[in-house]
Amino acid sequence: MSTTTTPARFVRELRDMCGAEHVIEDPAQLHEGRIAGVAPAVAVEPASADEVAAVLRFANEHGLNVVPAGGFTHQQTGNKPAQVDVLLSTRRLTEVEHYDPGDLTVGVGAGCTVAQLTSMVAKDGLLFAADVAQPQRATLGGALATGMTGPLRHGYGGLRDYCIGIRFVTADGRKGKGGGRVVKNVAGYDMMKLLIGSWGTLAIVTSASFKLFPAPRQTRTFIARFPSSGEALHFRDAVLRSPLSPICLELISPEAGSLLPAIVRQESSSRTEPSEAAPGRDTEACWCVLLRASGSDAVLVRFRSELGSAVPREITDEDERRLWCAIQDFPHTLPEQRPDCVLMSLWLPLTEARTALDGLLSLAKSTGLTLVAIGRVGVGHLLAGLCPTEDSPADLAALSAFRDRLPRDASMRVLYCPEELRAACFRTPTDLASMRAIKHALDPKDILNRGRFVF
Amino acid sequence: MGLPQLISALRKIVGDDAVLDRPEDLMLYEYDAGIRKSTPGVVVFPQTAQHVSQVMRVASDAGIPVVARGAGTGLSAGAISHAGGIVIAFSRMNRVLEVDAGNLRAVVQPGVVNIQLSEYVSHLGLYYAPDPSSQKACTIGGNVAENSGGPHTLLHGVTVNHVTGVEVVLPSGEIVQFGGKAAESYGYDLTGFFVGSEGTIGIATAITVKLLRKPESVATLLAIFESVDDAACTVSEITAEGITPAALEMLDGWTLRTVEEFCHAGYPLDAGAVLLIELEGLREAVEEEAVAVKQVCLRQKAREVRRAKDEEERALLWKGRKTAFAALGRVSPAYYTQDGVVPRSKIPTVLQHIGEVAKQQDLIIGNVFHAGDGNLHPLILFDSRHPDQLERVMAASRDILQYCIDAGGSITGEHGVGLEKLDAMPLLFTEDDISIMTDLRNVFNGDELLNPGKLLPTPRMCREIAGRSRNAVLAQEGL
Repeated sequence: MSTTTTPARFVRELRDMCGAEHVIEDPAQLHEGRIAGVAPAVAVEPASADEVAAVLRFANEHGLNVVPAGGFTHQQTGNKPAQVDVLLSTRRLTEVEHYDPGDLTVGVGAGCTVAQLTSMVAKDGLLFAADVAQPQRATLGGALATGMTGPLRHGYGGLRDYCIGIRFVTADGRKGKGGGRVVKNVAGYDMMKLLIGSWGTLAIVTSASFKLFPAPRQTRTFIARFPSSGEALHFRDAVLRSPLSPICLELISPEAGSLLPAIVRQESSSRTEPSEAAPGRDTEACWCVLLRASGSDAVLVRFRSELGSAVPREITDEDERRLWCAIQDFPHTLPEQRPDCVLMSLWLPLTEARTALDGLLSLAKSTGLTLVAIGRVGVGHLLAGLCPTEDSPADLAALSAFRDRLPRDASMRVLYCPEELRAACFRTPTDLASMRAIKHALDPKDILNRGRFVF
Repeated sequence: MGLPQLISALRKIVGDDAVLDRPEDLMLYEYDAGIRKSTPGVVVFPQTAQHVSQVMRVASDAGIPVVARGAGTGLSAGAISHAGGIVIAFSRMNRVLEVDAGNLRAVVQPGVVNIQLSEYVSHLGLYYAPDPSSQKACTIGGNVAENSGGPHTLLHGVTVNHVTGVEVVLPSGEIVQFGGKAAESYGYDLTGFFVGSEGTIGIATAITVKLLRKPESVATLLAIFESVDDAACTVSEITAEGITPAALEMLDGWTLRTVEEFCHAGYPLDAGAVLLIELEGLREAVEEEAVAVKQVCLRQKAREVRRAKDEEERALLWKGRKTAFAALGRVSPAYYTQDGVVPRSKIPTVLQHIGEVAKQQDLIIGNVFHAGDGNLHPLILFDSRHPDQLERVMAASRDILQYCIDAGGSITGEHGVGLEKLDAMPLLFTEDDISIMTDLRNVFNGDELLNPGKLLPTPRMCREIAGRSRNAVLAQEGL
């Protein structure tokens, strides 16, 4: 035990801080909150930043290992914790701090789900652009901690581009903030950047403000198909060189296509080419590039003319919506369907997407694994799964070798892998000593997510 | 180490001709574009990251503060030296190290002038988006330190949205890398954290920036209004229409007359205010948006909406905007520029308030600013020969900033805190907020060797320095 406090005593203290009904000791409920198989000793649900601060001050004083938790959509990433003394749920931090549609900004509590925020602003014709996986469960706090976005990353940027303010509590219980409610602000250090993607290791985010965008009035998705990843990326390059600015530009590997609605695999639809009315002509072995356009009829006509014959198919309405939801959920669907897979996320310079995919394909071939990949290839983000086939278990040694061969500017994190293979498959171009020193400045006793991440 | 020994040590590092110490030379480095002055002890011109690193080690041994300086166009005294301190000037580190068109990136030294990067990559159909009004002089290194904006940041974002990697010399002299060419990097986003840290964490010696493809089509509109209020109300109406212009600038009547006399941009002399609106992107989209924007303006009582016919007319309209500050120099011996931000729906009321403040303090205040993102630049005219005027200027300035904060805004949108807004920081941040930021600064710059006394006000209570410095962490882990 890392603590000298008896559980009974700290449970009593936590009840005083958050109210007895918000301190969970029921083993069945705690079992639901296990992380890599480790159930927390207790879970708390503070209702305000002050309560979060009280819990953290107490935990810090007693050296308790605290794991911040939102919707549990990425909680299985990282190393197995030795123990979880306190699981701190942000579930009750859902207050809307400010929202004026005319300002195109909104500020909400970290426990608000992405779906709640998205539908709240959609009523006013606005778009919250972080289309993370499982938006009904994923919280904003979790999205910020993981730095995750989805297919809209291509057209709208990432959280680091549109999170304009953040409130948080440091490990020693200090309430802090960065930025504010306005879209342009350089007062003080940019705490948003430091906390986005910090995986709950520096502080617990309690609320945040975001820039919103006018929602597209209509969209179309154009589907282009290629026999190889090289040709698909060649098409990507042509799109990036063109005057077109799609809101999504997504690469889908052949095996990833099988996790998506069938429409992505069919060569043509009855709508665009009535003569080929027999759908279901699946050509599984195709790489697809999906290009989602928004704009007026005239803009869509222009997309068609620029893309020409390279893009035989387009979809809209419900088909389109279902397809993008499936792509958005890929980081969830793949591990759910293939619990034996390894799922990694890579950020690459654009030209290195080709090298990385070739590397992954040859890795898959040499180890007998199947590559299942999608990616926002227009911004250099790949989500790549490696699935064992019969008699070829995932080979982490081969994976580390692949990681070590990545170009200097690339970074990578394993988002999911089976428990028996759990390893810190991580790579960054950023100075690690600086990261560790920052961790120490905000969490000197290492109470936040202890041991789960290399920084 | 005394100053003479320090200077000779610096000469050994960078060469005799790359160190200035004569009073008449130092005078050129005692100011920026704001109103404060302080004379450095020595100015040094490194040519490599290794030079910068060695200079930092010498400064550290001597315990003499260091400030990095680009072109000195800053408005918040960020590049003003500690009295007797070392200025590291980057005019000899002004090379574009790499243009990587395939990855839409360039790697530049900090002394590269902002507009020169766009010119350098223009033949590839690319440009660098952040465009501060001083872009003909200001450097990318300075832009990174201040997280500079500019008119076109409305659509494309400020400097931090365009920097993906930095090579940094820390106060210890160590050279480290944050980020790289990828759009994001796993691990803490120290690149993002570094941008806008106003030279208090380290000194950038190589910067990886995004290059954007030039838009196919650009429309520049000038909407002319009878009153400031009508123009101000139009701003949020344009965004409510679902349109995000590339730029949306406002000049009030007094400012546009002053500018017009100076540069003959074609602004109407009798208008209450104008909006300069730029749309860019796909030809079809730009044409539709131009029609929609014109309709919104006319609905909001615009007298007229003109559209630049060609590149020449467009350049002229922008010249008026970008030389506005210079034009004011012709009518007033001095002016003080504010940089407060409000939510854009508050623009009409904040402008009314600025008008009242001007009356109360008996001052002329012109407004030329980034209306689209609510970033105000009231220009308060004064004559420094009359000390009472400066007092009234400062009183007006405090009043306006407080109004911005009360409206949910900020004290600075793009000019930085520096020394100039240090007093205003506690209006925005609590003692805990500032202590957390101070702990983070101390990770890298615990002795305040770099740019001391800037950005973060000293807490009232004397806090023990929390956390170990980066070097202590290194030592313990045997790295």
